[in-house]
Amino acid sequence: MKENENNFESLRRLLALKRYETPPPGYFENFSGEVTARLRAGEGRAVEEQAMELPWLFRLLSAFEAKPAFAGSFASALCLLLLFGIVYAERPDVAPQLLLQTAQATSPLAVATPVNLSSLTAEQPALIPVSSTNPVFNTQPTASWFDSQPAIAQPVSFRLQ
Amino acid sequence: MAEPVPRSEPQPSAPVDESELVRDARRGDLAAYDELVKRYQERIYATLYHMTSNHEDANDLAQESFIKAFQALKGFKGGSSFYTWLYRIAVNKTINFLKQRKNRTHMSLNDIDFNAEHDPDLMALISEQTPRRAAGLTELQEKLNEALLKLSEHHRLVVVLHDVQGLSHEEIAKVMECNVGTVRSRLFYARQQMQGFLADYLKPT
Repeated sequence: MKENENNFESLRRLLALKRYETPPPGYFENFSGEVTARLRAGEGRAVEEQAMELPWLFRLLSAFEAKPAFAGSFASALCLLLLFGIVYAERPDVAPQLLLQTAQATSPLAVATPVNLSSLTAEQPALIPVSSTNPVFNTQPTASWFDSQPAIAQPVSFRLQ
Repeated sequence: MAEPVPRSEPQPSAPVDESELVRDARRGDLAAYDELVKRYQERIYATLYHMTSNHEDANDLAQESFIKAFQALKGFKGGSSFYTWLYRIAVNKTINFLKQRKNRTHMSLNDIDFNAEHDPDLMALISEQTPRRAAGLTELQEKLNEALLKLSEHHRLVVVLHDVQGLSHEEIAKVMECNVGTVRSRLFYARQQMQGFLADYLKPT
């Protein structure tokens, strides 16, 4: 133990060399001035004050840094939303029907002419009011596109001056 | 256990009481804070320099520590002395910095004061190694800093604060927020490691 202490004493004397390492002359004369200048430039404001001035994106990112759980739940919500979007996009029959229902609920024209796809018959294939977003389809084969469309004649009167 | 090396006390010529300066600085008085910076700049810089072995890093870290301390002054309740509180900020900042730049160490050493050549203890160590004293000092300085950088941050800090800065075990325990026993065991382990690293440069007893 005594030998260890002596060895440590030798080490302590060697470590004394560190105390002779000095910064360049005049270094400490400018040091406090530099710190004060940085503080005057606004770096000394409280952290909360600085945070309030940051754009919302930076504040959000710093909130993520501070709370990893918040970041995780945010990422999970984004993933769920993306997954829901993909699944929904892969079901083409769902979106038009939803749109149709929405149109029925909101458009007065749609309310006036309700559509019941199940009640379609062969006798009245051409009377299907089709939404512009629906694909064009016909349940019965037709010889000609022109035959299937009933001609609508409307009297027109002109007044000649 | 050997006594710590005597260190210079805070500048006795400063007429204003420290608690008064801290109170004024908390109100945003930069002149008061400037006075506090002047009181502790040398010791804070020296600690950070000995921890990093790099003048530029120590300069940046010291400035940032003083700025952070000013920002956090409102949270300073006075449970410990301002000096201990400031030391804690600087030391934590430096340890975080060192952990981030692990394995990317670059030494930028300060010059050795010419008074070192008149230190009989140092000269006794050097004369055994080389007859060329100036070259010996520079070489010794490099080896010493390399050995310090091989220690873990916490072990290095204990050696720097005790054997270089001259803080007592109790003061170090307050700065590092651990008990005195931990400080003593870390110091013993760190010295043993240093002894191994610097075996060629230590005079056998």
